[in-house]
Amino acid sequence: MKKSLMLWGLLLALSFFLVGGSQPVQASGTIKVGIVLPLTGKMAKFGEMEKQSFEMALAEINAAGGINGKKLELLIEDTTGRPEVGRSVAEKLITKDKVVMIGGGYSSSVTYAVAGVCQQNQVPFLVNTGSADKITSSGWDYIYRLNPPVSKYASAVESLLTEVIKPKTVAILHENSLFGSKGAKSFAKLCKKFGYQVVLNEGYENGGIDYKPVLIKVKQKNPDIIYMISYVMDASLLMKQAKELKLTPKMFIGGAAGFTMPEFRENAGKASEKVISATLWHQILPFPGAMDYYKKFKQRFHKDVDYHGAEAYSACYVIADVLKRTKSLKNTDIKAALAATDMMTVFGPVKFTTWGKLKNQNKANTYVVQWIDGKLELVWPAKLATKPLVYPVDWLQTWGY
Amino acid sequence: MKKGNLTVGIFALLLLLFPLVVRSSYYQHLLIIIFIWVIIGSSWNLLAGYAGQVSFGHAIFFGVGAYTAGILVTKLGVSAWWGMLLGGFIAMAVALFVGWVCFRLRGPYFALATLAGGEIFRLIAINWESLTEGMVGILIIPTFKSKLPYYYLSFGLAAACILAIHLIMRSKWGYYFVSIREDQDAAESMGINTNRYKNIALLVSAFFTGLAGAFYMNYMGFIDPDVVFSLHYISIMAILVGIVGGVATIMGPAVGAVVMVGLQETFRSSFFGLAPQWVSEGHAIVFGLLVIFVIMFMANGIVGDWNKISRLFWRRKAVRT
Repeated sequence: MKKSLMLWGLLLALSFFLVGGSQPVQASGTIKVGIVLPLTGKMAKFGEMEKQSFEMALAEINAAGGINGKKLELLIEDTTGRPEVGRSVAEKLITKDKVVMIGGGYSSSVTYAVAGVCQQNQVPFLVNTGSADKITSSGWDYIYRLNPPVSKYASAVESLLTEVIKPKTVAILHENSLFGSKGAKSFAKLCKKFGYQVVLNEGYENGGIDYKPVLIKVKQKNPDIIYMISYVMDASLLMKQAKELKLTPKMFIGGAAGFTMPEFRENAGKASEKVISATLWHQILPFPGAMDYYKKFKQRFHKDVDYHGAEAYSACYVIADVLKRTKSLKNTDIKAALAATDMMTVFGPVKFTTWGKLKNQNKANTYVVQWIDGKLELVWPAKLATKPLVYPVDWLQTWGY
Repeated sequence: MKKGNLTVGIFALLLLLFPLVVRSSYYQHLLIIIFIWVIIGSSWNLLAGYAGQVSFGHAIFFGVGAYTAGILVTKLGVSAWWGMLLGGFIAMAVALFVGWVCFRLRGPYFALATLAGGEIFRLIAINWESLTEGMVGILIIPTFKSKLPYYYLSFGLAAACILAIHLIMRSKWGYYFVSIREDQDAAESMGINTNRYKNIALLVSAFFTGLAGAFYMNYMGFIDPDVVFSLHYISIMAILVGIVGGVATIMGPAVGAVVMVGLQETFRSSFFGLAPQWVSEGHAIVFGLLVIFVIMFMANGIVGDWNKISRLFWRRKAVRT
């Protein structure tokens, strides 16, 4: 008896799946695009910001007439930040929802897994945040990327170092995931190129709460600059604990991600002051609509937005532009339209080219920002700066000792 | 027993026909993930449920199997399919070492030791970059575009795993395992070499988990240390699959795998798009509630407490067979 009941239960569950599978998908009059983002889990904060930016852009695009009269529809799905779930999501979007292309992609490992599925199914994928070089250097022709690869994140810092700071010794701290360790490697390479001595290069577990052991090591080496690649919580803790230890190099430099987030200021407080960070975008950049986008976002969601949001917002406009220009919704036509992209967005000009080992990669600039009196200011390149770079810094005075 | 065989037979037939009827690669993918969890859950169950050695470190064997397949490709240029053969055996070799260290301890101390073991392997995989590529991970292009080969292979592995455990539990070994679980000292005094049989349970368990890992590499095409050596997503999930389905039951982990993977996907996709989006953000809570519920009211899992459940729903006094 009990076994047969079990059987019926399982059959019922199975049929539920089947019914779910046979639902009609493509409603006429809309064009469906899948967006993969981490909406739960450790990276949910960035994922949420990107989602809101996608939705903002979507509303604007559809209010302005959509895609040649048809409405654009975004299916924004949660990857939970895990590759195999990301893969489930991509499979679902492609085979069940029949999306014409995919966008989004936050963390490198998930982006990579999704890119694999897209390439195999020959569905175009426009990456807007996943930054590991491999994503566009694997020779995959259906994968396009809006944001620069992580190895180029430091190019503005590079010129700042050679022209202004001229350090002799460098300490590198990085969180241990693909993003952090790749970034640290390319920065170490850069140091070698300019003859800066790397006295310490250490990874740490993202999500820790005590960074003092590693910071004490840094203090013993007394480097000219400390370069840190961190997400927002570890960035705040690193700076707070550096302040407590009175660790005073010539400069603290953040490698994008956590150091430009408003939450960094909120959590680190005074310890965030005068810290500089590489960034890929800032609202004061001279791109049409950048400031407008920033203000609209702030008004609507009551929080600041950083480059993640700008990437997502721009990606949505690129997707709309591509779908307007494509001859048909066939994958090869969309791919051709992606390849022909040449437009201006709030993130800067977007054009996919092949350079070096990278294929279908947009060439985006990078910038340096500094927290000055509690506000993030663009300080480098000098000709675009909103405030001059504060350097050298008296840290103990800044921290109020 | 005969009726049970018939049920299992019909069910196996349905699963064999499934991908021929349902062409959507999305559903095929979900079932493949379920099969992987059937293997891991059943293997965990053999060691923890039957032999009583609760492991919090099954990610070790899963990860080692996956990395065996991956490293064969990146370092030796050998097809990752050889990893399917080798992955299980390398996982066994690692299991010998793990057993040598951890079986000195009993009960919760054994559990803690395996938990630490899992983290150690994860950190090794992160830092031994020359071998494992570190956090960059290993990428291979999967051999088949179609999901059918993966589907049948994983189904076959899952079926073989369940069958093997079923046979083992009917043999002398099975009785030894249970006696060790019930009272290790009494078993020892009966003349059972408890250390040897605990190791045997671990080796079999590690073998199948390693196979699952190697299959994961072949199928997913991408691994990194946080994915395959994850405490949360592999080791703990293995325990949950076992507990929810039913510890020390043959079909328990299989039911557990269906429930866990099914629930996760149902909630993640907001009931396949039928419910509002915010539902998807609740999947973590649902998992937590489910585990609390199972532990409080159905300590033997869905299969183990089937009588209780059927009484609850049908108000009928079921007879335990």
